[in-house]
Amino acid sequence: MGRARHDGAAARFAPVSSHWQFTEFERDVAALDETMTSQAVEVRDLTKTYRTFRGKTVSALNNVSLYVETGTIFGLIGQNGAGKTTLIKILLGLGTPTTGEAQLLGNSPRDAAARRRVGYLPEQMRLPDYFQAKNFLLYMGRLNRVDRDAMERRIPALLERVGLADARNPVKTFSKGMRQRLGLAQALVNNPEVLFLDEPTDGLDPLGRKDVRELLVQLRAEGRTIFLNSHLLSEVELVCDRIVILNKGKVAREATPDEFTRGTGEYLVRVAAVDDAVRAAAAVVVGDGSAEWTQNTLRFAPHDRAQLNCLVDRLRGVPVEIESIEPVRLSLEDFFLQVVGGEEP
Amino acid sequence: MFATFVNSLRESMSRRVALVLFGVAILVAVAFNSVVHVRALANGEMMIFVGTQTPMPPLTGVPSLLQSDLRATGSLWLLLALFAAAPLLTATLENGWLELVFSKGTARWRIFLGRFLGGLTLYSLTFVLATLPLALRLWWTTGVATWRVGVALLIQTFSFAALLAVTALVTLPQKGVALPLIASAAIWLLSPSLAMRQETFYRIFSSHIARGIIDWAYRILPKCSELEDLCMSFVERGVIVSSWPIWSTGLFTLAILGMTVWMLERKSF
Repeated sequence: MGRARHDGAAARFAPVSSHWQFTEFERDVAALDETMTSQAVEVRDLTKTYRTFRGKTVSALNNVSLYVETGTIFGLIGQNGAGKTTLIKILLGLGTPTTGEAQLLGNSPRDAAARRRVGYLPEQMRLPDYFQAKNFLLYMGRLNRVDRDAMERRIPALLERVGLADARNPVKTFSKGMRQRLGLAQALVNNPEVLFLDEPTDGLDPLGRKDVRELLVQLRAEGRTIFLNSHLLSEVELVCDRIVILNKGKVAREATPDEFTRGTGEYLVRVAAVDDAVRAAAAVVVGDGSAEWTQNTLRFAPHDRAQLNCLVDRLRGVPVEIESIEPVRLSLEDFFLQVVGGEEP
Repeated sequence: MFATFVNSLRESMSRRVALVLFGVAILVAVAFNSVVHVRALANGEMMIFVGTQTPMPPLTGVPSLLQSDLRATGSLWLLLALFAAAPLLTATLENGWLELVFSKGTARWRIFLGRFLGGLTLYSLTFVLATLPLALRLWWTTGVATWRVGVALLIQTFSFAALLAVTALVTLPQKGVALPLIASAAIWLLSPSLAMRQETFYRIFSSHIARGIIDWAYRILPKCSELEDLCMSFVERGVIVSSWPIWSTGLFTLAILGMTVWMLERKSF
């Protein structure tokens, strides 16, 4: 049942089927304002420029416009220095835009009342050493004006949820993974409607990452909005409903993961064995120039489905056993590299 | 603000310099109490004995001893407490922590002010710890009222608040605790020279403009040394000789705190 141990690597998040399943959160979510805006986050023509000591103007964000619908997981990806953290800081009221407008739950991010409805896990979180996990969460809750009684009920359940129920030592003894789990717990302590997570799986082992993904999906199912900033593109691809690629301060692409990872029109045909007869049969259909063999696998882009079927017939006529035929899909990573590399995918 | 205030006290207790401050406060209290003795003479007259010095009657001895106590703790305490309290302010703006607290649903100025008050409380608590035991004991054994120490404590806290406000202001545009400490310590060191500028700076600067600048510096900056003198005279005579150092320092503190809050609220992190 995911009992916590003082070992960051070994600690596990309590599974979704644990005795506590955010029941209190669900109750609170049900009580959310029914007039809540359908867009949790909205950014219009946001520009942020800095002036260096030498008077040079540096543009961190350039006319960025995007929105995040309520109850979805939104992924923001980009290279280092693309402006992701600047954007998140503006959305949390930590930074001010040079021009443009940002809205958080229909309000200005500088509005403290709006921020009370938001949770945030920063990328590089510093936890003061003197805190214990419970005290830290109490303090974070108090800063969000969470009722003490509510926190007394919520904090043990949250610690259980992130696998830190038994962690009674000061935070200074925590491993990186444990600190990250505590960071997640503090982001949830005020029962937020919108959650900003900056590299939430940083420092977690593969099991911990899987737990975070499950947690995110569960939170989305409860109607919460999640704004995810991660370098782990596979992770973003797995959980996000919509993704924006930020490149040099501009929105380079915006789509769903399916749209990003669409087929390239190429197919991989894997056969049991390759000899000259097989190559010749394939060349008849595909042509010598466009066929690309890698060991037992032929990669080619058919004009249409009939050409693909023709290839299959020819190969079976050799005869050779066909092990698999699969369309080539672009991974999010491939797509991302093409976008930031300047190639049009 | 209260949550931040309480947390700043907890945080200060985790820092070595605050523990040293508490340790020194206890040492000062123990030292003064161990050298001061109140005994009745053969004729029944109560006298205060301090080591080998001539015994003093309570009416003059009590204020004199309290003055010594305040003098021993006063200035030194101000500086020690600055070292303990300044990190409370600078730590608020450390990367990784400021993102965590300033993104929460509490206004920045409340968080910062809570920590400022925490620093002030740290100073007052340790000051009380150092001076109150002797004051209480003297009052208990001699019957001479020692409440004036409380007023002196308030005046000294006023002085400390001005220096801590400078620390808070200098914390904003840069990282680290060194520069804020240097700035407030410099003001503290400058205050006696500015108060006696005719005997100090005027001898160096004969220019009318330079002297004008020095005069304005005196008028604007906190009057720590004069406030300390005010404490002594109040403990001795029970009279506030001049209210000028109090209200001008108060105005300075309010202006600096106001400027700090204004800058903090506008600052883009």
